[in-house]
Amino acid sequence: MYEMFEHTADLGIHVRAATLESLLVDAARGLTAVIATDPGRIEPTVEEHFAVAGADPAWLLLDWVAEVHAAFEVRRMLFRDFEVAVSESGLEATARGERYDPARHSLAHEVKAVTQHDLAVQPTADGWEARFIVDI
Amino acid sequence: MAAAANTPRDRGFSGPLERIDDCTWRIPRSYRPDMRVDGVIFADERLLPQLRSDRAPEQVADVACLPGIQRASLAMPDIHWGYGFCIGGVAATDPAAGGVVSPGGVGYDINCGVRLMRTDLDLEDVRPLLVPLIEQLLRDVPVGVGQGGRHVFPADDLRLLMQRGVPYLHDLGLATADDVSCTEAEGCIADAVPGSVSDRALARGADQCGTVGAGNHFIEVQVVDRVEDPQAAAAFGLREGQVCVLIHSGSRGLGYQVCEDALRSLRDAPAKYGLSLPDRQLVCAPVESPEGRHYLGAMRAAANYAFCNRQLLMWQVREVFARVLGRSWESLGMTLLYDVAHNIAKVETHEVQGTARELCVHRKGATRAFPAGHPQIPVRYRDTGQPVIIPGDMGRASWVMVGGPRSLQRSFGTTCHGAGRCMSRTAATKAARGRNIGAELERGGVIARSRSREGLAEEQPQAYKDVDVVVDVVHRAGLSLKVARLRPLGVIKG
Repeated sequence: MYEMFEHTADLGIHVRAATLESLLVDAARGLTAVIATDPGRIEPTVEEHFAVAGADPAWLLLDWVAEVHAAFEVRRMLFRDFEVAVSESGLEATARGERYDPARHSLAHEVKAVTQHDLAVQPTADGWEARFIVDI
Repeated sequence: MAAAANTPRDRGFSGPLERIDDCTWRIPRSYRPDMRVDGVIFADERLLPQLRSDRAPEQVADVACLPGIQRASLAMPDIHWGYGFCIGGVAATDPAAGGVVSPGGVGYDINCGVRLMRTDLDLEDVRPLLVPLIEQLLRDVPVGVGQGGRHVFPADDLRLLMQRGVPYLHDLGLATADDVSCTEAEGCIADAVPGSVSDRALARGADQCGTVGAGNHFIEVQVVDRVEDPQAAAAFGLREGQVCVLIHSGSRGLGYQVCEDALRSLRDAPAKYGLSLPDRQLVCAPVESPEGRHYLGAMRAAANYAFCNRQLLMWQVREVFARVLGRSWESLGMTLLYDVAHNIAKVETHEVQGTARELCVHRKGATRAFPAGHPQIPVRYRDTGQPVIIPGDMGRASWVMVGGPRSLQRSFGTTCHGAGRCMSRTAATKAARGRNIGAELERGGVIARSRSREGLAEEQPQAYKDVDVVVDVVHRAGLSLKVARLRPLGVIKG
């Protein structure tokens, strides 16, 4: 699950999940919810695959969410469903969604970047927790 | 990488703020062992509670730890919490003394800035046409999330544009010679290296040159409300009752990506160069290192793109005015007063301990404000001083100032860049529930049009400090001096 938290000029996303994989899925969903007003209207008609290298969970989360962001910025892709598998060398992910269609999708924010400021990814007693801030 | 502590903004600053004078405060170097210089914040008693309410002053202390930093880590009165650097921060480093360049000291929106265009129109000329004018601007000028522009540049053309800046648009018939000469650095920062800009950045920027974007960016039709310095106002071609247009945007997705790419490529630089940093978002490299030079080359390319973005926006605004008013924009006297960056790092000559040195001056939400006589001011303004444009919020005011006599000595020729936020986006959205911000603004005489409801709610006037107070501080500090106050008539936002 994810929730937004306040930052003076921007928005923060706080994610909690049982596993690192589900944390990464929810982080991507959180970013999508910052970009699109109603992510539930995204149809999962197109599938894309991602691979992100890295062992450090925080950099892995940052680089993965940045890929999801870049998919929107460069190809106008909005995703609804994510599957993530983490290995020692990084992650592989499948995302399903569709191209942004102004007739059906409403955009909420222009995200400049997913920042590393106050980025935190850590195991907790019952899973994993992450915080990151997106620059609006 | 160690996990960062949970650090929401409600953890304020309780460290020392020593009064230097009634608008200058010092965080002494003794506050933390890793500080190399003092922190100096320009603010007055009215702004102190706000100043202490978030971690921005701690960020001023963080920046004071950067290798090669000179004189002091500075912050302007519109200071608020940013990424690594606070917004409103100024840091000058000496490359010859191991000084670093930090992408965080520029920000994601490289060369975010403002330009002010004069018109020969009076308030009474525009008032009856204001609603159609603002609505035509919203239709014709790309604004908001996901809005591509009319001008699409293939990669090779984009590289030329980033290399040559606004003079490139002049050759395309999209800028006048006066537009070029009235832009900071004449619209082209030297030594840009477009080859250092990634393909992803090129892709993000291909159709965004000439688009406003979202967030706090806008185009605003204003009227000169009050002239404070008649001589400077005359030199700037301003008079009371005159209609002007203020444009606020930056380097769009291209610049954001350049910053993101740099932050990623510099992850290992602190270890490589033995740099100890208090916040990883301050990641940096020596100016005179391959990594430092690479970033500066790409950043300058993005900065030139931003000058071109504002130029193309101004060009489109001219076309809309001509269409709505039924006259050519030339006959409406739509000329550029000045365009100035407020997110940038520039190599400039400044005096440190009696010696002129080439410094890398980071301005993160801070505006260059050179005084009269400085050789980098356009000739037409050289006897007056550099025009400084300070946008406020869309309900109250903006200001034109002039570079102050004490700016070089006190702030490396820098002043504030705006009002500065005092309310988070989430809080502003909550505060807007049940209200119609557009209707409220209209009752106050401002026609506001936005592509999204979030745009007006998050950017409502109450989300910002009072720009009059901020401007008053920099005026009294001698960083920049008041010339004219402008109030908004109409605005388009993302």
